[in-house]
Amino acid sequence: MIVEESKTEKKKNLKPYVEVKDLVTQFFTSRGIVKALDKVSFSVYPGEIYGLVGESGCGKSVTSTSVMDLIPDPPGRIISGEIYIDGFNIIADLNKMARIKIKSETDVRIRRYKKAIKRHNNVLSKIRGDKIAMIFQEPFLALNPTMTIGDQIMEVIMLHNISSISNSILRRENISSGEVRNFITEFYSINDETQKRKEVNNFAASYAIQEFEESILSLLATSDDKQYIENEILNMVRENRTGMNIQNIREIKGYFDLQNDIFQNTLRLLQAERNGDSSAIKQFNSELSKLKRIEASSFFLLRLKLKFAYKYVMKEYRKEARRRTLELLTLVNIAGPEVVIDSYPHELSGGMQQRAMIAMSLASNPRMLIADEPTTALDVTTQAQILEIIKDLNKLIGMAVLFITHDLAVIAETCNRVGVMYAGNIVEESSTIEIFNDPKHPYTVGLMSSVPRADKKREKEIKLETIPGTVPNLITPPSGCRFHPRCKFAMDICSLKKPKLVEISERHKVACFLYSDESEVE
Amino acid sequence: MQTTVSIFKRGTIQKKRHPKVEDAKETIKLVVKNKVAFTGLVITAVYLFLAFMDQVYPAYLGFGPNIITSLLQVGGQPNGKFPTPPTTVGGWHLWFGTGLGHFDIFPAMLASLRIDIGYSLLIVLSGAIIGIVVGSFSGYYGGVWDELVMRITDIFYSIPFIVMAIAFTTILSFTFTQDNIPISGFNLIALALIIIWWPTYARLTRSITLSLKSSRFIEAAIASGSSRVRNVITHIIPGVLSPVFVQISLDLGSIVLVFSTVEFLGLGQIIGINYYTPELGNIIVNGQGGMLLGYWWPIFIPGIFLLIFTVGINIFGDGLRDVLDPKMRR
Amino acid sequence: MELKYYIIRRLLVLIPTIIGLLLLTFILLRAIPVNDLIANYVNQKATPAEKALEKQQAITLLGLGQPLPVQFFTYLTDVANGNLGNMYSAYYNGGVLRGIELFLPVTLEIAIFTVIFSVLISIPLGTFIGSRPNSVSDSVGRVFSLIFYAMPIFWLALMLQYAFGKNLLFLGSYGLPINGQGFPIQQVGFVHNHTGYSYSVPTHMLFIDAVLNLDFPLAVVAFEHLILPVLTLSMTVLAGLLRFIRAGMVDTSNQEYIKTARAKGVPEKLVLKRHIRKNALLPSVTVIGLLVAGLLGGAVVVEDIFQITGLGRLSLAAITGTSGNGANIQFFGVAGTVLFFGLILMLTNLIVDIVYAFLDPRIRY
Ligand SMILES: Nc1ncnc2c1ncn2[C@@H]1O[C@H](COP(=O)(O)OP(=O)(O)O)[C@@H](O)[C@H]1O
Ligand code: SF4
Ligand SMILES: [Mg+2]
Repeated sequence: MIVEESKTEKKKNLKPYVEVKDLVTQFFTSRGIVKALDKVSFSVYPGEIYGLVGESGCGKSVTSTSVMDLIPDPPGRIISGEIYIDGFNIIADLNKMARIKIKSETDVRIRRYKKAIKRHNNVLSKIRGDKIAMIFQEPFLALNPTMTIGDQIMEVIMLHNISSISNSILRRENISSGEVRNFITEFYSINDETQKRKEVNNFAASYAIQEFEESILSLLATSDDKQYIENEILNMVRENRTGMNIQNIREIKGYFDLQNDIFQNTLRLLQAERNGDSSAIKQFNSELSKLKRIEASSFFLLRLKLKFAYKYVMKEYRKEARRRTLELLTLVNIAGPEVVIDSYPHELSGGMQQRAMIAMSLASNPRMLIADEPTTALDVTTQAQILEIIKDLNKLIGMAVLFITHDLAVIAETCNRVGVMYAGNIVEESSTIEIFNDPKHPYTVGLMSSVPRADKKREKEIKLETIPGTVPNLITPPSGCRFHPRCKFAMDICSLKKPKLVEISERHKVACFLYSDESEVE
Repeated sequence: MQTTVSIFKRGTIQKKRHPKVEDAKETIKLVVKNKVAFTGLVITAVYLFLAFMDQVYPAYLGFGPNIITSLLQVGGQPNGKFPTPPTTVGGWHLWFGTGLGHFDIFPAMLASLRIDIGYSLLIVLSGAIIGIVVGSFSGYYGGVWDELVMRITDIFYSIPFIVMAIAFTTILSFTFTQDNIPISGFNLIALALIIIWWPTYARLTRSITLSLKSSRFIEAAIASGSSRVRNVITHIIPGVLSPVFVQISLDLGSIVLVFSTVEFLGLGQIIGINYYTPELGNIIVNGQGGMLLGYWWPIFIPGIFLLIFTVGINIFGDGLRDVLDPKMRR
Repeated sequence: MELKYYIIRRLLVLIPTIIGLLLLTFILLRAIPVNDLIANYVNQKATPAEKALEKQQAITLLGLGQPLPVQFFTYLTDVANGNLGNMYSAYYNGGVLRGIELFLPVTLEIAIFTVIFSVLISIPLGTFIGSRPNSVSDSVGRVFSLIFYAMPIFWLALMLQYAFGKNLLFLGSYGLPINGQGFPIQQVGFVHNHTGYSYSVPTHMLFIDAVLNLDFPLAVVAFEHLILPVLTLSMTVLAGLLRFIRAGMVDTSNQEYIKTARAKGVPEKLVLKRHIRKNALLPSVTVIGLLVAGLLGGAVVVEDIFQITGLGRLSLAAITGTSGNGANIQFFGVAGTVLFFGLILMLTNLIVDIVYAFLDPRIRY
């Protein structure tokens, strides 16, 4: 079923969450340079599901890995382009990180600048997983075989959510009677049983006292005396306080807050450097060194402790992270999360593995998810369940999704907007409805006619009508429009110039000379 | 006629008339382009050529008057003359000096290659052939035979090569004398080494066979009802050849080492190999007596000569493995 | 499957292998002329009459003349009773098992130091160069490991001996100068050091015993004698380990789950430490079996060159026999040492497999 376009309507004035402009990614192999992406541009807006579709080998995975800047180097590199994640261009410093000298197709010299790459990686590690997360085609290969599922998910939480955990723990330690009273009043104002439960759950979660959830519930159920309940709850929490650690937790929180400040400052510094704003550079530089001095002076001991007494100090954190992990596993409908959390990837089925991957990607509350053929390796029923989960997440928490697949039926079922890829180019982009009802680009037209009607679900298995010719070799791609050797409508200009992706009607873009004369400038 | 390809299947990139030939060409091209591997190839080729030359035209060594009696003739003992150091005067024979007992080291080393490399090739190739046959059939048939072969290889794997080589050679020499079968000392060592070397190839072949067996391609052949022997010969063995070839190129170096080590440990004397027999391990063990008197070159130079070959063939093998690795091929 | 069942299965597989090994040594013993075999049993210095008697005894003892399966069974019971036959050689005369017992600690000491030394160096070095493939340090490491991997170990030993044995006198590794000659320490059960007093030797390893008895001058001497042999053996072991670990690091770095780790935002340092290194080092546990095999083989060579009276030399002595003349090869010595080497390696592989199964959750399907 084709998803309604209602959400896209509102998008006109929104800023895109991820914006890719003229992205060029190449692989330098012994056979020659694979021109995998040739000026790919697209945007993903908050809250939408953007689908990328195309034959295998057309560069979908390369696109998604480029967006996270995870192209394996060697052999690959992003050559040029811009990738904005939440407004920050993550690849603005390409030229600072490496010089590429192309002597011939098979003899390419790359000089890498370690310092710049290191800085780049430092910045990116704070963005990856935090602002944008990714799941892969083969969950079995994508999970670390020697770590338990729980450890792998907790790793994300400990990396990105440490301050939120600190806050919960500190709140618990400093719980006041007023807060408890408010909660009790709130509780009694609700009539619905499940709502009541939820309220208790929320309360417990925000103070990191989940272990008391049941007792609080029974307390509330058995007694009417608000004062008594309040005191009981307070006692319950206070008696179990880990008082001894509170100082440590404050300190750790301070440390990680400082780390965050340093990171924010680095970002500002980077931005200033890119703008060439020398006064700003100076300002941020001095601020940065000030922060670093604080780090060195105040947190010297703590850092040693974190290194050598990690377990002892971080026990509370791990406990909380584990609880959150269980919650995440429940959220993605894993049966028996208490068992799964301690199992290794090979002990789970493919569907479970993919769910665990999704749980892992959600761990840091990212606002966007990249799903690279998340269902291709799974059987049909599991496929449907995973798609359901992704759609639910999109609906419930408004997470944007870049959804990659070669399966048009899946696109029709899931996505709001679609980009059609062919041999490293996006050749057409439009809303899902329009792509299916009114495809423009000859390649898309071919795709559509090769698919049984889009509204007949799950029939992709039947023999497809075919487009003549073969997928081009991306080492020596066809000149001009890369589709021209296979195109029924090819004209003279098609082999000479590369058509530009232009908007031919409202939010419908096509790269084809049949619709527009505009070509890419070389 | 235009070929039509289902658009959602990965299209074949190019049509090739002889995929095997194309592949071989590609491999050669890649090896040549890989500088390190190519150096290894050149070194290996030079050594093989020298060994070959000695086989077909030994006179190329052109022994001078003072060594003509010594190198290849049987029955000499060290004549007590002290080694002379490497020198550039007096012809190329003396470039690397002379050894204890006064033979010229350079031609002696060259003459050694025929035995060292020749026998090593014999050992590795025979071992590989036995291993391929045993491994592919046991892997393909499975069951009791497979289990038996695995246990046998296990046993061979659990005894250090050198120890096994020595033990097998000595015991075999007795067996042959008992049965009055004439066999030369080197053939004896070679036979012993073949017996202990084939399990390596059997294991390798077996593991590849198992993965090939589960591929679609073989499943289709099985379904079509062709005989098992036929399947092994037409489908499995060709698929096994290229990794086995890589293994051969890597093993050749190791076998030369084992061969000369066995010789060095004095086994040569036991099975009747002469003091002057040109074999690198033998030359080095002969030089051992002069070492503490300060004569380093009769040991040092043959060792380096051997090392260059083993390093060369190893880097060639490594390069070849990288090139043949499907992951590296895009 | 649980670890317990895995171990049980692994032990069951060991049984046929051990029987196979025994069969192999049995075949070795029966592949030679019977007369030569009997000659080994007989004291050559005895009178003809005694010889004839001993010969008769040998025939009944070995079960010669019986059908082969019965002979094999006799052999099995002999082995089970610790009777591996006798040998007469330049270094040792007597029961083969006793000889192994006496000579083993020396080899073991060298092996232990070699393993410790090479593991301590190869793990950090291998992970270091494996984490930056194609860098300068990687190239240096690769050339180093390649050269030592391809080097004839006897040549390396000779060169080290030439370089250090002559110029640095304290490293002159020509036999352990305890009590002058042979290897009497274990027989006596006490070390007589240069000052004349004696003490107990719990491990029979000279260096360790000396340290345990706080006799540091002796410990220093013992250590000096260990340096060159251990260095020689370490070089080859190290080269193999280094190659393996490097390849493992590179291979693991290309795995999909490393990409996942980066996509999660794990900083590079932690990716290396937590995700790559552990997964890369795990399989190197499995090559330890192969390395020990190489090590024992190398020990034969090294002990020969540095004149160390260890197990390797015992097996060589069995071959050279009393006079270095082919006729006096000690078949029982040969078969016995082969059997023992085989058992050691099987045990090593067993332990390696179990440790690996313990470390890698995937093994216990
Ligand atoms: N590591 C790599 N080395 C060389 N070429 C690569 C690599 N990864 C991808 N490519 C090439 O990039 C192109 C696009 O691949 P990919 O993005 O994986 O396709 P898909 O659309 O099926 O995800 C292919 O032609 C492939 O050969
Ligand atoms: S640009 Fe030309 S070749 Fe390309 S799709 Fe359009 S008509 Fe066909
Ligand atoms: Mg893909």
